[in-house]
This record gives sequence, structure tokens and C-alpha cells, in this order.
Amino acid sequence: MNGIDLRQVTRSYQLGGESFDALHQVDLHIDKGSFVAITGPSGSGKSTLANIIGGLDRPTSGSVNVDGNDLAKLNDSDLSNFRNRTIGFIFQSFNLKADSTAVENVALPLIFAGIAPKLRKARALECLDRVGLGDRANHLPNQLSGGQRQRVAIARALANHPSVILADEPTGNLDSARGKEVIEILSELNRDGITLLVITHDLDVASHAQRIIEVHDGAVREGRVAS
Amino acid sequence: MRKADYLSLSLRSLRRSKVRSMLTIFAIVIGATGITVMLTFVTSVKNLTVASFVKTGQILQIQVSQSKDLQYDPNGTNGGHGDAFASSGSSANAPKPLSVELENKIAALPNVTAVSAMLRSRNPFLSHIVYKGKQWVIEVVVGYEPNGVIAPTLVAGRTLTMADTHNEILISRPYADVMGYSKNYSALIGQKFILQTNNGYTGAGATLPNKLPPQVQCEQNKRGCFGGPTSGLPAMNIPATVVGVLEDDGSRQPLIMMPLSLFVGIYNASTPNNVRYDFQNQGNRGNNLGNNQGNNQGNNQGNNQGNNQGNNQGNNPGSNQGNNQGPPQGSGTVIGGWVRPTTTEFLTNNGGFDSLMAKADKLENVASIANNIERLGVSTTTGLAALNDQKAQANVIGLVLGALGFVALFIAALGVMNTMIMSVLQRTREIGVMRALGARRRTIRRIFTIEATAIGFLGGFIGVALGSIFVLVAKPVITNMVKAGSLTGATFTVPPWLMLMVIAGTSFIGFISGYFPARRAANLDPVEALRYE
Ligand SMILES: Nc1ncnc2c1ncn2[C@@H]1O[C@H](COP(=O)(O)OP(=O)(O)OP(=O)(O)O)[C@@H](O)[C@H]1O
Ligand SMILES: [Mg+2]
Repeated sequence: MNGIDLRQVTRSYQLGGESFDALHQVDLHIDKGSFVAITGPSGSGKSTLANIIGGLDRPTSGSVNVDGNDLAKLNDSDLSNFRNRTIGFIFQSFNLKADSTAVENVALPLIFAGIAPKLRKARALECLDRVGLGDRANHLPNQLSGGQRQRVAIARALANHPSVILADEPTGNLDSARGKEVIEILSELNRDGITLLVITHDLDVASHAQRIIEVHDGAVREGRVAS
Repeated sequence: MRKADYLSLSLRSLRRSKVRSMLTIFAIVIGATGITVMLTFVTSVKNLTVASFVKTGQILQIQVSQSKDLQYDPNGTNGGHGDAFASSGSSANAPKPLSVELENKIAALPNVTAVSAMLRSRNPFLSHIVYKGKQWVIEVVVGYEPNGVIAPTLVAGRTLTMADTHNEILISRPYADVMGYSKNYSALIGQKFILQTNNGYTGAGATLPNKLPPQVQCEQNKRGCFGGPTSGLPAMNIPATVVGVLEDDGSRQPLIMMPLSLFVGIYNASTPNNVRYDFQNQGNRGNNLGNNQGNNQGNNQGNNQGNNQGNNQGNNPGSNQGNNQGPPQGSGTVIGGWVRPTTTEFLTNNGGFDSLMAKADKLENVASIANNIERLGVSTTTGLAALNDQKAQANVIGLVLGALGFVALFIAALGVMNTMIMSVLQRTREIGVMRALGARRRTIRRIFTIEATAIGFLGGFIGVALGSIFVLVAKPVITNMVKAGSLTGATFTVPPWLMLMVIAGTSFIGFISGYFPARRAANLDPVEALRYE
């Protein structure tokens, strides 16, 4: 089965004896290779949704299937493997290792995949080239601009040839020009066949997507797609 | 994930927080250095005592004594009323003298190769040792049978043998030092010395005239004063050859050792049988004469006049003088000739030998020989018992020092644990990122345990290195200390097994201290970790 499939997904938190649903009985299908923007007010459950799709979090109930992987059936080790090979995470605050160069940061998922040093360096450089940072491979994060850092993070997400990229407000810390660059790179990756989920408050960003999903109080509904 | 990658990830995080890592490592270094130095010292001393005991054959020795509380004394040079240690025995209520008869009985016991008798004197028979015109006071003289049982430790020359019948002697290091030979003991070997007696000497080699010169007044027991009716006789120079220089036993006691035969020759004094004074002090004459005469008279009636004579005179030559409040003036005439006690008589008068040293043929027989000797009614002290005692002492010291080191390491372990908890906290977000990028729980746990183990390893490694340097620097100092304690052959080096043990130990401590923080890191919820500021 291809694409992402959520059935009756609920994620509850226990708060002072009361149960609170960050996601409530979500049914959702996302086609493989599509570009979906996820919008919604703060605290509505967007990140929770992305984390459950990405295998960082587990639903309280319901089933999640990503490109044929039934996540409920995976143990920690297999789920880690799944994140490593199938998902590419991109965060608002880049989350690069400050003591490692761009190429070392990109190689980190390849280390977890057990790939030999030579191979992973080649692959990391290839990914940096892809985001236009081939000449910044040996720069530390603090020697790069915000836009460049986010591009390094994109290269890192790409390292293991993921089939899904989950970007949680990737432009949130960037000015609109840098944000645009980042979205253009991501769109390009999507055109090459990667399923792209971008959480964003920015309607400009959302306008690049083929489909918009709005999250409200833990429930999803289809949004308007700007033509 | 590859092993080398774990290591590089862990070390990278160590390098990132340099100050914190260094402080933690430093705590381990202190403990490791301490343990390295202490255990090196303890093992070296332990090996050393064993080596020196075996080398000198002391381990086969059985010292025989009257008293229960004799200090084990391998050279037999101290009469020995020191700390009671390593002594066993079943002496009878009345101390049994160490007679020639007893010596023969012990020598006849099975598995005893030989027995050496020892006599020791502080009597003022000898006054000075003279070399190249300079003289030094003689304090303690020891005579022993140089049959190989007693093997004194030497710094130069050789020990005495039974063939040494021409006044060969050993002098102790303190003599050689004051003589100015502390840098070159062997220069004294074969040199001619003079043993100068006090006035009134009547031992071997003395001319014994019938006409006694007037007595010389002197204080009782004062060095240089011989006293007695012969005190007017001249001093004598006994030529002697130094064949060896004795190692100091730590007491810095100037000591002369000589064959028992020479000792008896010097100390077994002849006495004039009956003296008539030509010219007498009115006040004391009656007393003195009466005393002497009465004694002699009574004894003369008996069968063994010479014996009693010897007894009377030999025991305390100065005593009569002292009691008589000043010597009679004028010279005397020996009427009954001179009497010299036999060696047996001499010994009996002295209360027997000061100690006997038996030697076993084999180590296994030491205990049974000691048992057999004790059945003869005397106490024994064995080198074996003393050695075991020393070993036990070294073990106790090792245990105490080791415990201190482990307390230090325990505190260091708490330091490692604290550092790792801090490290996990500080890197919470990074842990979340690593989990998102595909790190398993196991991966996270390993990264942190390896980091902690590396702290322990580096601390141990640096500690062993520092400890080795310390031992190297302290070696001359310790060696001198040990030499002063009459132990030789010090080899103060850190044994390789100790190096490995310390490094392995601190690594293990690092691992244990890092394990729980690492587990906590591994069990963090990735989502929570990513949200952590
Ligand atoms: N560990 C938690 N315990 C309790 N409630 C939680 C926890 N994590 C998230 N929530 C709640 O779940 C809801 C959804 O959170 P989520 O992070 O998905 O929101 P979001 O849509 O991503 O918001 P934002 O746009 O601000 O990032 C929120 O109301 C939040 O308070
Ligand atoms: Mg969010």
C-alpha cells in the first residue's frame, strides 16, 4: 500500500486526571508523492499529527500506515530504522549539531544507518550539492546563515533517500526571501517523487502545496487550495 | 551503527565540554594516581622483604633465646629487648641459660645443619678502635661462630669464616662513615686496625707479671676504666684486620663483630690468685684485704679454687673497688699465680651465650625444628614467623591504603555520574534530534556509557602515568629509606598488572557511573526531548 493512511487516530494526554485529545479520531489519506500543507491555529495538533506520521510518537488508538509500514507493529528498534530510512525530519529551529560541520551533520543519519565512512561522506556531499551548499561542507553551523542552516537540515533529511519529508514550520525562523528559497528546494524534492508534508502558518508557503489540510482542535478537514 | 562511530561520537561530546570533562577526569586521576603509588609501594616492600630474607638465608634461621620477648634479629647483633613480635615459645619459669651443652643438643637435632653461638659485650675491656693514628670509641662487640649460620648483611668485603683465626673483624657502617669512608667502604677492606684495650687488661695476649703496679682510681663502669687490682697494668694494642663492613641495621650503632674464639680470648680475663700489697692505705686496707683474703681463703680450702677465683673476679672486677671507697695505694705481689677460666667456666660465669642461632636444612623443617628446640626449655623465633608477620603487616597497610584509594575513586565515581547527568540534561534536545534521525534507544545509551567509560579510562591512564612518574621521582628517596631499614635490593617500579588493573578499574567505574544517566537518556520521549529548551 502506498502513501500515508491514518485510521481513527487519537492521541490523548492525561492532564491532572482529565484526558485531553490532541488528535481526535483522525482519518486521513495522503497520496504518495503529493505536497501537502498543514495549517491551523497554535495548539491545534499539527505537530502531533506530523510526529505520529513520522514514527516519533505513537497514537493512543487507531492505526498509522506509511508506505506499507504498519507503525503499531514496529518496536523501538524497527521504528528507529523506519525514521532513519523512510522519513526526513526538518525542524523550525534547524537542530544542527553545533560542534559538527555541515557535512558531518548531513552524515549523522548515515552513521545511524551503519554506512561506511567513505560512502557516507560522498553521499553527504551529494546532498549538500543538491541544496546548493557544496562549497560550505566544512563550515560549522554558526559559520552559516539561517537559510543556509535550514538547507543543511534539508540535506540531512535527504541523506537516506526518504520517501516522506516532514517539515514542521521550516520557514518559521527565516525571512520571506530565505523562506521562499527553502520552499523552492522542498518543492523540487517533491517533484522528484518525495511525499512532502509542510506545517506552516504562512499562506504563501501553503500556496505551493497541491493540498491543504486544516487542523482544528485535533480534527482535520480539507482546506482551500489557492489556484 | 559502527563501533568506531560510537567512539568518535562519544569523544566528540567529551571534547565539546572541555572544562567539565577535564575536571571529572581530574577527580579520577587523583584516585588512580593514589592507588598506583600506594599499591606499587606495598607490593615493592612485600617483594623486597621476601627477597632479602631469602637472599641472606635468614628464612632458614631459628633464633634461640631464654626470654619469651625477644625481637627477631637476623644478624644476632642486638641482645634484644625490643617490641615483642613474631616470638613463640614455652620457656620454663626459670630462664634456662644457653649453654654449650644446649648448643650441642640443638646441633644434634634432626634437620639442623649448624648452630652458631653469639656473645655480646658492653664491658669496658676494649676502649678504642684505632686506624691510621685516629681512634674511635668501641661500644658494642659481638662474637659469633662464623660457621655460615649467621650471615650479616655487608656493604663491602666478606663475612667471617671459621678459617679467620688471625684477628679478622667486621665493623659496622657507622664506624666506616665516621672514619670518612661513607663513599668508599671497600677501601677499608684488608686494612690493619688496632683494638685498644683499657688499662688492666688481662685477656689473651696480655703479659701477666707477678709484680702488680699500683692500682688506678677510676669510677665504676666508666668507659676507659677497667678497675680491679690489675688496674695498674698497661693497656694493650690488639692488631686486627677488617674483612668486611656491616650494613647498618637502622640503629646507627657502632658495632664490631668478630669470631667467637677471638671474643672469648679478649673477654675471658685472667685474674691474679692472691695479691699482697706492699704499701697500704690505712683506712681501707683492712677492709680490702679482709674481703679479698676472706673470700679467697674460704675458697682455697675447697677443691676448685681456680673456679671460684675466676667467678669472683670475672663477674665484676670493679665491684670490690667501689665498695672499698678508693683503691689501696701502692703496688702488689701476686702470690698464687694467675688463673684463667676455661671457656665453659667463662660462659657459665656470664650466664651462658646471649643467643644461639640454628639453621634448618630446608624451609619445610623450620617449624618442626623450632618445636623440638622449644622442648629443650627455651624460646625460639624464626625468620619465617617474622616474615609472615611482615607480610601480614604489608597486607594490612595495603588494605588500608587500598581502601583510601577506593574511597577517592568512589567520590570520583559520583563526579562522573554528576557530569553524565549534566551532559544528558544539556543534550536533551540533541538526543531528540538523534532519535528523529534514526538513533535507537540502544544507540543513545551506548554513546553515553562510552563517554563515561572514556572519562574513567582517560583518568586511569593519566593517573597511572602520573603515578609512574611519581614513583620514578620518589624512587631514590624511598630506596634510601629502605636501605636505612637494612633492606636492600629495592625495585620500585609500577608493575604492568597494576597499570592494567588501575586503568581497567577506573574504566569500569566510569561505565557504572555513566550507565544510569545513559539509560535515562535512552528512555527520553523523543517528542519531549525535541521540545526541550
Ligand atoms: N506532553 C503533552 N502533555 C499535554 N499536552 C500536550 C503535550 N504535548 C502537546 N500537548 C497538547 O496537544 C495539543 C497539540 O499540540 P501540538 O504541538 O501538536 O500543537 P501545534 O498545532 O503544533 O501548535 P503550534 O502551531 O503552536 O506548534 C496542544 O494543545 C498541546 O498543549
Ligand atoms: Mg507545532
